[in-house]
Amino acid sequence: MSTATTPSAPSPTNTHRNDPAGAGTSITASKAPYIFISPFFVLYGLFMIVPIGVGLYLSLTDWAGIGSPTFVGLRNYQWLLTDYSFWTAVGNTAIYVAVSMLIVLPLALLIAQALNARGLRGRDLFRLSYFTPVVLSPIVIALVFTLFYDREFGLFNAFFRGVFGWGGIDWLGDPSWAKLSVVLLVIWKWTGYMTIFFLAGLQNVPRELYEAAALDGSGPIRTFFAVTLPVLRPVTAFVAVTTLVSSAQIFEEPYLLTQGGPGESTLSVAQFIFRAAFERQQMGYAAAAGVIMFVFVFALGRSANKVFGVGSTR
Amino acid sequence: MKQPHRAVTSRRAFLHGGAALAAGVAGSAALTSCADTSYGPARSSGALDLAMWTHDPGYITTFTESAAQLSTTSPFQYDLQVTQSAAGDVMTRFINQAIVGKGTPDLTGIEVGQFNRVMRSDVAGDILIDWTEELEQYGEDLLRKQPYSVDGRVYAIESDTCLSIYWYREDEFAKNGLPTDLDTWEDLLEAGGALHQKTGQSLAMVGTGTPGDTASSLQQWLLQRGGGFFDQDGELILDSPETVETLDWMARGVANGTLINLPDAYGAPLAAALKQGQLIGTFMPNWYNAYGLQANVPDQKGLWRMRVAPRFTGGGHIASSSGGTGFAVTKDKVNTDGAQELLRATYLTREGQLLRYKAAGYLPTIKSLYSDPELLAIEDEYLGGQRVFEVLGEAAEDLPSFYQSPNYAILQSALAGPVQAALRGRTTAARAIADSVESYRKQART
Repeated sequence: MSTATTPSAPSPTNTHRNDPAGAGTSITASKAPYIFISPFFVLYGLFMIVPIGVGLYLSLTDWAGIGSPTFVGLRNYQWLLTDYSFWTAVGNTAIYVAVSMLIVLPLALLIAQALNARGLRGRDLFRLSYFTPVVLSPIVIALVFTLFYDREFGLFNAFFRGVFGWGGIDWLGDPSWAKLSVVLLVIWKWTGYMTIFFLAGLQNVPRELYEAAALDGSGPIRTFFAVTLPVLRPVTAFVAVTTLVSSAQIFEEPYLLTQGGPGESTLSVAQFIFRAAFERQQMGYAAAAGVIMFVFVFALGRSANKVFGVGSTR
Repeated sequence: MKQPHRAVTSRRAFLHGGAALAAGVAGSAALTSCADTSYGPARSSGALDLAMWTHDPGYITTFTESAAQLSTTSPFQYDLQVTQSAAGDVMTRFINQAIVGKGTPDLTGIEVGQFNRVMRSDVAGDILIDWTEELEQYGEDLLRKQPYSVDGRVYAIESDTCLSIYWYREDEFAKNGLPTDLDTWEDLLEAGGALHQKTGQSLAMVGTGTPGDTASSLQQWLLQRGGGFFDQDGELILDSPETVETLDWMARGVANGTLINLPDAYGAPLAAALKQGQLIGTFMPNWYNAYGLQANVPDQKGLWRMRVAPRFTGGGHIASSSGGTGFAVTKDKVNTDGAQELLRATYLTREGQLLRYKAAGYLPTIKSLYSDPELLAIEDEYLGGQRVFEVLGEAAEDLPSFYQSPNYAILQSALAGPVQAALRGRTTAARAIADSVESYRKQART
């Protein structure tokens, strides 16, 4: 018996071994899967890991953008922890996150529920209307809302004057009103977008469940909490985590509407980072704030994933 | 018979070879495209594709015309490659390109509020041509070198004196019986309060929409009053009686309606205030004629006039300044000499400065030109044919100095909140300035 002469179905490896032109390709074959998946890892490493590493290094330096960074250890972090502006930005961002989670999400769900009602005419028109703020240019939004909010000539104050005979709200000039103005813009911009997700989820709730609930004598509110919400849980979890993470990094709305003002009353953490890097050339300081924001958002995202059970089979 | 030997190339080997060759060619092409040929020994003549970045279309017109004229006499034949973007973006991209060492412009317009970004760690000295020695010959005759200086070295040449003067609607002043030669800001405050009570109109404005606007509004009056934000060493001098007095005057002006508080001093709110005739006067620089008045209310042509601003009773200057753009040349580039020559011809000669004024309305920065007969004869149609240089020449005689600091942006944000609070009567001027100084010191770590 000789295995050497036994005819058998040649394995690809054997074929290569017998083929002088293919010498060495057995190694290639064994590495082929890695080669195929390598583009992702190369790009991920190049555009994610390397920048994060560079950011971490920069956060330990004092650098204006040109020349050599000066290593300063943890000084930037130390300064950040005692920087009143940074904590103001953290506080403002917390407000934006809270509003997004506590107002935008429930409101989006309610609107989606309304849009999902049987016999509603013009559903697509409503859907389009709610989605429009997301596709509009932020610059256009900022221009239009600046006009709406103007104290002297704005639409809102004109409305209040016309209806109530009083309308002197300094929407963008008073710190508290400016915060509210940004919050209203956030609600206007993102509620419709989130509605689309909820509406898609609602349209996939099996009709039989509603019919069974109706047979059991369940009213609309009980049906909403006993049927709709549990079935929507995966969609809700996705929307909640996405909202949480993106609102923690909010930039456009306060930047375009108030540039963080008046004072720093609407400044967000992302704006704080932008300001340090691109208005003050404090790259190291900005990188340190970026690292803190990254850690914070990462932890927040992970916690939210656990709380909402994203990716779990439960 | 023996067959001649023929080299056999398998299909696999052929594909491997082809792939290696393609990768080599692609790699070489990629490396070649990465190499920047714009840096190197400076050219002294020939065709020049000059990359110019600016935020303002007026400079495009000015330099395009100047380059065309210069090409006829210079060893260079200029072809301007212009990129226009927002002032902040021009600076951000310039610095980013300088970091990677390629793709920088040859000639860059640096808006005055952005210059502080190249003041840290001698960034300006690393990337920009130093004009100090060359400008010495002009002495005091060349205005506004300080805003573009770092440690006494000048890195950009100013485009405009940005003289702040008082603009007013002659027809509305006449209708309301207001004198057009009010001597002091206190007089204006008194007249403005009475006018606002009667008609709801205002005689000037403050812009408080952004930290930059708020700081500019204060700075313009403060410079005239004889104060400032920083001294020539970049040290903060905000905490002064002049600042408190100025802010207090502004707050009283907003309170009695003399000053209208606008969230945007250039955009829609301003346009509405002007169009409705609610704002019938303003203290703004010369460039406001084109960018504020003519842009928003072209239909009010012939109704506006300019005059030297009222004075502060406590002292100071007869004029002020606000804004500005310095043009800078990037170092060590093939086009550096050509860019310098173009800038020199456009900004440091009589002919260039006249061209600049005619092309875009930027005032001469050479002081002696204010008595030039050609300029004195100019009549502004929008201002009802007024001979503007009769007013501007007087103002240019007493222009306050404006000094920069690497921490200028920090001060802007430190000022914004407290100044707004003072203007709205929520705090006193003294408290607002104290709060600003404290906030600045915390952020600037000084």
